[in-house]
Amino acid sequence: MVSVRSIYTSPSSLTYHDLPWIIEHREDRCTLCGRCTAACPVGAIYLTYRRQRMPKLDVLQKKRGNEYRHFTGIRQHTVIEKRCIGCGMCASVCPNEAIGPHVNDNEHRSAFLLNQKGDAYKRGGRRNAPGKTVLDRISFGRISMLTDPALDAGRHEFNINTILGRVLPPEEFLRRKLTGEWIPPTREIFPFIIGSMSFGALSPNMWLGLLQGVAYCNEVLGIPVVMATGEGGCPPWVLKSPFLKYIILQIASGYFGWDEIIRAIPDMQCDPAAIEIKYGQGAKPGDGGLLMWFKVSKLIARLRGVPEGVDLPSPPVHQTLYSIEESVMKMIQTMSMAFGFRVPVYPKISGSTSAKSVLNNLVRNPYAGGLLIDGIDGGTGAAYNVSMDATGHPIASNLRECYLDLVRQGRQNEIPLFAAGGVGKNGNVAQNGMALVMLGASGVHIGKYIMQATAGCLGNEMGRCNVCNVGLCPKGITSQNPKLYRRLDPDDVAQRVADVFMAIRTEVKKIMAPLGRSQSLPIGMSDALGVDDKAIAERLQINYIC
Amino acid sequence: MSETKHTILTVRGRDDNNLRISSKLFEEEVRGAAAVADELILESYGQHNIGLRLGSVDKPLTIRVKGPAGQRLGCMGLKGATIICEGSASDDVGYLNIGADVVVKGDATNGVCNAMAGGRVMIGGSIGARGLTMTKWNPDYERPEMWVLGSVGDTFAEFNCGGVGVVCGFNPKNPANVLGYRPCVGMVGGKIFFRGPIDDSYAKTNAKLTPPSDEEWQWLSERLPEFLDKIGRSELLAALSARAEWNVLAAITPQERALMFSGPMPMAEFRRRIWDQGFGGGDPLRDVAPGLERSLIGVIEPGEFRRKKPFWANRDAAAPCTFYCPIHIPTIDRLRMLREGRNDEAYEMLLRYTPFPASVCGTICPNLCIQNCSREKIDYSIDASVLGRSVQTAEPPQALPATGKRVAIIGGGPAGMAVAWHLALNGVEAHIFERDQQLGGKLAQTIPWERLSRAVWDVEISRFLKTKNLHVNLGASLSKDKVEELKKQFDYVVVAVGTHQPRTLSFPGHERVIPALEYLKAAKSDKPMATGKQVVVIGAGNVGCDVAAEAYRLGADQVVLVDIQKPLAFGKERAAAEALGATFKWPFMTREVTAEGLIGADGVLLPAQTVIISIGDIPSLPFLPDSVDVVKVAGASWIKTDEAGRTSDDKILAVGDVERPGLATNALGAGKRTAEYLLAAFKGEQWTPFRQRLINYEDLTLAHYDPCTDRGTTDDQQAARCLSCGSCRDCHLCETICPTGAIFRREITPGPDGVDYEYVSDDDKCIACGFCADTCPCGIWVLRPF
Repeated sequence: MVSVRSIYTSPSSLTYHDLPWIIEHREDRCTLCGRCTAACPVGAIYLTYRRQRMPKLDVLQKKRGNEYRHFTGIRQHTVIEKRCIGCGMCASVCPNEAIGPHVNDNEHRSAFLLNQKGDAYKRGGRRNAPGKTVLDRISFGRISMLTDPALDAGRHEFNINTILGRVLPPEEFLRRKLTGEWIPPTREIFPFIIGSMSFGALSPNMWLGLLQGVAYCNEVLGIPVVMATGEGGCPPWVLKSPFLKYIILQIASGYFGWDEIIRAIPDMQCDPAAIEIKYGQGAKPGDGGLLMWFKVSKLIARLRGVPEGVDLPSPPVHQTLYSIEESVMKMIQTMSMAFGFRVPVYPKISGSTSAKSVLNNLVRNPYAGGLLIDGIDGGTGAAYNVSMDATGHPIASNLRECYLDLVRQGRQNEIPLFAAGGVGKNGNVAQNGMALVMLGASGVHIGKYIMQATAGCLGNEMGRCNVCNVGLCPKGITSQNPKLYRRLDPDDVAQRVADVFMAIRTEVKKIMAPLGRSQSLPIGMSDALGVDDKAIAERLQINYIC
Repeated sequence: MSETKHTILTVRGRDDNNLRISSKLFEEEVRGAAAVADELILESYGQHNIGLRLGSVDKPLTIRVKGPAGQRLGCMGLKGATIICEGSASDDVGYLNIGADVVVKGDATNGVCNAMAGGRVMIGGSIGARGLTMTKWNPDYERPEMWVLGSVGDTFAEFNCGGVGVVCGFNPKNPANVLGYRPCVGMVGGKIFFRGPIDDSYAKTNAKLTPPSDEEWQWLSERLPEFLDKIGRSELLAALSARAEWNVLAAITPQERALMFSGPMPMAEFRRRIWDQGFGGGDPLRDVAPGLERSLIGVIEPGEFRRKKPFWANRDAAAPCTFYCPIHIPTIDRLRMLREGRNDEAYEMLLRYTPFPASVCGTICPNLCIQNCSREKIDYSIDASVLGRSVQTAEPPQALPATGKRVAIIGGGPAGMAVAWHLALNGVEAHIFERDQQLGGKLAQTIPWERLSRAVWDVEISRFLKTKNLHVNLGASLSKDKVEELKKQFDYVVVAVGTHQPRTLSFPGHERVIPALEYLKAAKSDKPMATGKQVVVIGAGNVGCDVAAEAYRLGADQVVLVDIQKPLAFGKERAAAEALGATFKWPFMTREVTAEGLIGADGVLLPAQTVIISIGDIPSLPFLPDSVDVVKVAGASWIKTDEAGRTSDDKILAVGDVERPGLATNALGAGKRTAEYLLAAFKGEQWTPFRQRLINYEDLTLAHYDPCTDRGTTDDQQAARCLSCGSCRDCHLCETICPTGAIFRREITPGPDGVDYEYVSDDDKCIACGFCADTCPCGIWVLRPF
């Protein structure tokens, strides 16, 4: 059907106040410098010319007519593809505070129209559920004052490190020690771990900046932070560097980058911190990943051992694994053997009601060095919105159930559980992490928080920015385009990593000291926890407080 | 009272049964005795808080503790009191002391001087942990002092806030470490003199270690004899007076600490010394990505760091007028010439597109060009008919000299004439073979003079005939043989015979019905057909409207146009018919035509003396060689052509209605297209059809223009209103708005389009804000990734 329309409206036509972010522009301040439109990552704003009719309405005289006033402004596009993402780069470059996005607190219509051309809405970020999380609501209520020896976070010495790797029961340890048998490898690490973000999902400057910061934490500050690579390999020079010991190498269903890793093994100066086998992730459980072709630069192609400019799919499942038994057998054993059984190997799974089954299998496996469970609030560079928002299991009760299951078997000190998914979602990283520790985690992985805290990632749970998936990251964190990632100074990232971990260390002490703990991480010390919701308290088996 | 007797009283800590009395009772007795005595001898037995708030500057008091002292000896001591413990003391000696001298000749346990704010505590032995913690100094009073002959225990001087400690390290408990583990944590004031080794565990962010300065050494030297005297060890003075053996731990000021807190190592230094060295001294990506540049850039950058850059895509997209006109007449260029006062050039240019600017553009054409005119979004579309009529009297353009190429054109209607016109102007001999006695085809034969005035038409025909290289053969009827002959005589033969066979229907009485084509042709001749008062026209299209108009002229009172569907008539033809009184009736299905008129499917009679059928014409092709393929549609044969007008016979081409029926302008467009194809073929060049994309009207900036109150009747008025879609109007607005001054205009050698300037964006200045594209009224600037 062909029709002619004077003003074009289609089912997808929106007005600016239907959009999630509304650009507020003050013409009285604007100097028309062009920086906002140059900086906008999605081309959402443009210079507009407006014509205003000024009718001459004079009843008594004959000189009627219209005059016109012309003026300029910055206007936002209303088409879905060019909708404002709220990142605020315009505001950050404006010399006159004349422009910036404001969240539309009205119902916004774009939610109905993000599925253009049959493609469901995809984005980066994590579950967009603003507000306090369960972890945020947990408080540490069992304070030692006069009952136990009081501790001073600033004055006393703390050992807040955790163990990654299989811990043998004492009698078994002694037996093996005496007979000279193999003892599973362990690492003493800081309980806050930089979670898996791949070289590829992250820009070179971001990834290397993080590792530089991690190296600084270890070598200058004495904080034994480790960082997981994510799937996508690791630069050969890094594999052969002394910093490899701060790295958890990941193998996932795409098997990207392992050719370089295997090739580098004979030249490694040290062992990696651990090997993480990724079976699932919290942001998109049961779903795979896809590094879009435009992110597969020459460098990324080289690191991943693939041709340049092709899509790189990581399928939802490992193609040759058919059962837990087989997975554990095949991959954990192979990975352990590759590094002479000197490196802990552990799987990472999505938070799920099936997590306990996996755990119970690992308990029986002599090579399993731990289990990482990633809950629904975990972040990702790219996923379908429905996967992020509605698929998966929150970490708190999932972790807790697994831990209590270990407790029932008396194995809670043997196989460390690591938790992830929304730690620090609202900025309370140490509090969230320590709540999980006291619910039973030996440590936590943090990813999105690290991007926000160390590189100024603008994403939030109101849908702000979240364009990691399309390579447009205005901060240069998740882009392979040098025009973007060169905005990020690796030294600045590294400095922020150092700042963040120093601060986390202080906060962990500030949490532990009042509990009267200084010499070991209070893993599973759930009598210290309280929550102001009876149902949550019951489910987590912690104190109900109000 | 000039002189008083020195009174000494003794208080016992045990009762008559030698049992310990409580601290409370003991304190009452001591306080009573102190009120009258100058010196007390306390035979204590572990009572606490001995010396609490006793004595004064006016009435000094000496307390000698001979028995075991309890906790907090000298607690809250006042200036004027001297408390001497002959043996060792328990915890918290000098607790909250604010002025007393407390001397312990033996050791003291933990917490000595805790929260002390004045006075002196002098220990003849060593002390336990947490000495000198929370010690204060009120600047209005003297500093509190702690003197220890031996050593101190762990966590010494925590949160010390002004107290001075002297640790002589004589006969220490731990000879390897006289200050214990981790002293000075949280120390914010005061200092510690010490002599002897320490374990270096002192809080580095709180205290700094230095040898005593001259002032400090003087302070110590002056006071050391008194301390030794008080504890009865004056013999040690010489041994303790070796300055080199002493060190000082002094509190770091907040100002000094702020400077220290830039981190243990600057990140740049870490990168240089440790990070880069970890990769053999270089970037860790240098092997996998040689030359990869990772250094810092800003958010707003010119040059290669822009994500997009502007391109001045002048004349890249077609204006709607050019795009939608079947002849693709660049009306925007005509109007630009008019704006520039180059009227003759503008007229000539139009003639180079069409031989009939006044008859077609100016009169009968529905002007497809302006039906999508962008100006309509502001006020009214440009009036192209005004522009066409302006050219009426213009002379034909200068033709190129003859090239010797010859083309035969069968049919002298608009399509054939257009082919001939363009060929002739370009030096190709064009021979028209027309069956009729006049040129013009249906334009001349059927369109009523009311709509296409004879004056206009004759001028354009005579202009046509004035053109060089043009030969017209009238009354030439052709056969297959003749066409084969033409093929031999000419380089090409173009068939442009149009449709001159009326389509009819076979309902009963169809022989009573006059075909519109015949009726109209007769009406324009000397012998018009007899026309009744009541006329019915079957088929209510635009030709039907022309029939109605002619019927009225020839005597009809009432004309009804019937159709089986909604009438397709539109525009000038319909308006003319309706103005004369014609009415439309639909849906109407003709069952039969009788002498009375039309009988519809429902049996109703529509009275008519004259019934004319106007449902279209079809080609008549008896002369067409068999080598030319035809396509049969709805019972008629049409010549099958490609986009250049070529047929299956490579010497024969076809244009106009004989390919597919259309407007006069379609026929003119097809004629020009095929002529251009032939001209290219003669030159051995590649022919390219019109391929320009249509400009997006969103790319124009309409707000620069104000609406006009009327459409205008002169070509200058049209020129003034033209938006110049897709074609730079040289307004300099881009140059003006560019915030970084990147855009400038420069003159260039004119290209085929005759444009002798261009606007350029300087990559070294442009930040890719896109203002040029957002400002350009014509939609020339585009921003593209590069």
